[in-house]
Amino acid sequence: MCTPGRSDAFERGRDEIRTGRRTLLAAGAAGIAISSLPRAAAAASAGTRKRAYVLVLDGCRPDEITPELMPRTSALRDGGLHHPRATSLPVMETIPNHVMMMTGVRPDCSGVPANSILDRSTGEIRDMDRPEDIRVPTVIERLNRHGLTTGTVLSKEYLYGVFGGRATHRWEPAPIVPVSGHAPDAFTMEAALAMVRRNDPHLLFVNLGDIDRMGHSDLTGPLGVRAARQAALAATDVQVGRFVDLLKSSGRWRTSMVVVLADHSMDWSLPHQLIHLTPALEADPLLAGNVTIADNGGADLLYWTGDPALLDAAVARMVALSSAVPGVLSAHDPRATPSLRTGPLGGDVIVYAKAGWRFSDPDQWSNPIPGNHGHPVTMPIPFFVAGGHRRVPRGVTSSRRAATIDVAPTVADFFGVGAPRGGYDGRSRLPRR
Amino acid sequence: MLAGGAGAVAVTTAAPGARAAVDHDVFQHGIASGDPLPRRVVLWTRVTPTAAATPGSGRGPRVTVTWEVATDRRFRDVVRRGRVRTGPARDHTVKVDATRLRPDTAYFYRFTCRGETSPVGRTRTAPARNATPAGLRFGVVSCANLQAGWFSAYRHLASRDDLDAVIHLGDYLYEYAPGEYGHGQQNADIRPHVPAREMVTLADYRQRHAQYKSDPDLRALHARHPFIVTWDDHEITNDAWRDGAENHQADEGTYAARRAAAHRAYDEWMPVRMSGTVATGDGTRLFRTLRFGALAELSMLDLRTHRDQQASTPAPSPVPSPAGGADGTITGRAQMDWLKRRLRRGGPQWKLVGNPVMIAPVTFAQLPHDLVDPVNDVTGLLPRDGAPYNVDQWDGYTADRRELFEHIRDQGLRDVVFLTGDIHSGWACDLPYDAATYPLGDSAGVELVCTSVTSNNLKDITGTPPRTSSLAVEAVIQTNNRHVKYLNFDDHGYSVLDVTPERVQMDWYVISDRTDPRARSSWTASWATRSGTNTVQAASAPVGA
Repeated sequence: MCTPGRSDAFERGRDEIRTGRRTLLAAGAAGIAISSLPRAAAAASAGTRKRAYVLVLDGCRPDEITPELMPRTSALRDGGLHHPRATSLPVMETIPNHVMMMTGVRPDCSGVPANSILDRSTGEIRDMDRPEDIRVPTVIERLNRHGLTTGTVLSKEYLYGVFGGRATHRWEPAPIVPVSGHAPDAFTMEAALAMVRRNDPHLLFVNLGDIDRMGHSDLTGPLGVRAARQAALAATDVQVGRFVDLLKSSGRWRTSMVVVLADHSMDWSLPHQLIHLTPALEADPLLAGNVTIADNGGADLLYWTGDPALLDAAVARMVALSSAVPGVLSAHDPRATPSLRTGPLGGDVIVYAKAGWRFSDPDQWSNPIPGNHGHPVTMPIPFFVAGGHRRVPRGVTSSRRAATIDVAPTVADFFGVGAPRGGYDGRSRLPRR
Repeated sequence: MLAGGAGAVAVTTAAPGARAAVDHDVFQHGIASGDPLPRRVVLWTRVTPTAAATPGSGRGPRVTVTWEVATDRRFRDVVRRGRVRTGPARDHTVKVDATRLRPDTAYFYRFTCRGETSPVGRTRTAPARNATPAGLRFGVVSCANLQAGWFSAYRHLASRDDLDAVIHLGDYLYEYAPGEYGHGQQNADIRPHVPAREMVTLADYRQRHAQYKSDPDLRALHARHPFIVTWDDHEITNDAWRDGAENHQADEGTYAARRAAAHRAYDEWMPVRMSGTVATGDGTRLFRTLRFGALAELSMLDLRTHRDQQASTPAPSPVPSPAGGADGTITGRAQMDWLKRRLRRGGPQWKLVGNPVMIAPVTFAQLPHDLVDPVNDVTGLLPRDGAPYNVDQWDGYTADRRELFEHIRDQGLRDVVFLTGDIHSGWACDLPYDAATYPLGDSAGVELVCTSVTSNNLKDITGTPPRTSSLAVEAVIQTNNRHVKYLNFDDHGYSVLDVTPERVQMDWYVISDRTDPRARSSWTASWATRSGTNTVQAASAPVGA
């Protein structure tokens, strides 16, 4: 679930600027604030005319990119390399999949399995919005080390937080909508355009959050109308068009690769299709008082907090009891389901909702929003590689699988900076040279 | 020789230098191939070693048949060769699995017996498991009633050089006696069935298979392309279900014995692996999967062997009294579990389902009563009193359909395409989760339905000219079923299915006149589903034209 938690991300960002670890400059009349690492100007002169842009249409479904609703985006898709089999990866939430994009590895390596986890050091549920939550170097840092410059323009507060000060240039997002915790796409795109014009980073990582935010709150979603959602899709398409126009008018297009994808899809549930696991777990003598739930919308992460010696028995009980609750699709022990690769932070049991349902734990009123993701129905994502650089295929559709973890290896391949020790879990989507 | 241009047929030709030891045609039922896998394909023929060894006779000696597979039509580069014994116990049919072949490769094959060499067939293996083919192309056919007309649709498909295989969705042959279920309102027999009675015994089924495989157009198509087949009801008898059928009466023996005979003959006479092998008598499981690299997987269903009895229907067809009802199963538990395992995220991109009967929901509210009976004669679709389902198809087994669609939705699957026959008409449909509110809400996939090769359709039943009374019916159906995007109740013919990573497209071809053995073929419509959309859209032109 993408509901914002109490984050200190912006306080951390301000501290970085206050203490001189980043330099803040306001760009243009709109006062767009971009902070940069020291010596960024020197780094900018290094290297190549190649540019890579990663645009994340947060929460967009692949079937929503139609010529009628999103003409600019669909034209980009049709003109480049399209991966119709692309998927988000567990847990199908915003933070872990953005981290997978930039690290190229699964959560058991990156350390970020979900938006919301139990922090066993404090015993509290929290968002994974701290820079230190990512435990491996990202492709951002890899490019930096190769003398290339990077930029992040991330509309969501917790994405700003988790990627922290890694990029050479970072947008300080504003204005932030109080309830959603994100900056509207019009402002985000203004920042992206300003960063391209002023800082011209080799890699720019952009998150556009309106489609997701309108999807979460769209009360017409369960009825199939999706009025607010459709308006957001059309509006975001305009922003994508502005970005492409800048690349073309400035001459960057022919040296650019533009990766467009989503971090997850979206599913809508009727108000009465709530899954409430807490009563079932609390009624069990073994589990009562010893399970903490991190609600991730379409997925619940269950943590055993009782005697570690009883973990196996507790997991078996959690799986059995959860599986019997109406609306539950499946419950998994990650240790017995290697394909999940969520790692120890991702819970002792992962429970998925059926399509059209959502979790609301620990309380029935914990999750009031109709639009959710995290469960398998929200795995399909749009994923295509566009741009005018000669390495980008033109008008090709691939039947190969693709996933969010493929972004980092694709970017690394594009710039020829190699793979980290241990390699990537993902694969470059570019054809071999 | 091989089928060449339009109108060509496969005819028996002895290999150069071969010396005929018999004075009759040993290979009078042609040759065939089927179920292509990356490294193997089924090869089939039937030999007539003596004049008395006629199909179903149980007479004739055991003989040895040699088979060869080559990369060239002159058999200068023979890559596989073998010998197999056959005899009256299996009606002198021959079925071998040619193994250790190369993926995605065209091959030629032939048989030799008693000094005579068979016609040369051509086949093709499937792409390797992880290959990413740029495209696949299939012929798609169903419902070929020999008494109702000529198999020109098969001949025109045989003339194409661009097919990887032919998918036959059932009703490959019909059980009826001459004078029953022939051409049009009068049930005229364009060609009478052999034997001249409803097929019931093993000998009957064998003779009927032999008659169909004597048809030159069908022989040409078998010789030219590998087949991937499933059965519907008429391979046994009309409206079959697990323990009976509408067209099975008590004086015809037990249904179990009749079905066993039908299945036995099918196993002998069709180029298919039943229960995963080419042996006969080792099982009759027909549902199976064929994979075509990372691009597509084709799951062929058997919707007659495991289904509960059809619910009672207000339609005029003499369906027995209610049994399973909408909560009954059409797939059976084992097949449903298997199908759900095949429809998975990690598999190939396009999940094609060879589906003998329609799965799209079809409901009616306002159809003129005058047209109810004729429509039901063709399709069994229309409930006289407004009940909103067709009980011989998935509409009569809504619990199974709901389970399957929920699986597709819950797992976030895309690109599921049902390929369907049975109802003698062409359809292109979305598959809404909730037909009542569609197009609000999502679709589970699409369904593309080919028309019949010859079996009667709406205009044949009503006796009206094409594109007259049917137009009103089609309009009413589509008005009441917004997910039905294309419907043609009038034509006979075949379809071509083209599969690429971008989209799956079906082209519908119609024949000019099923009573004309030289009937022409023409394109009439094309519909496609783009990857990821789960909906169909009209396409402007056929492929390969």
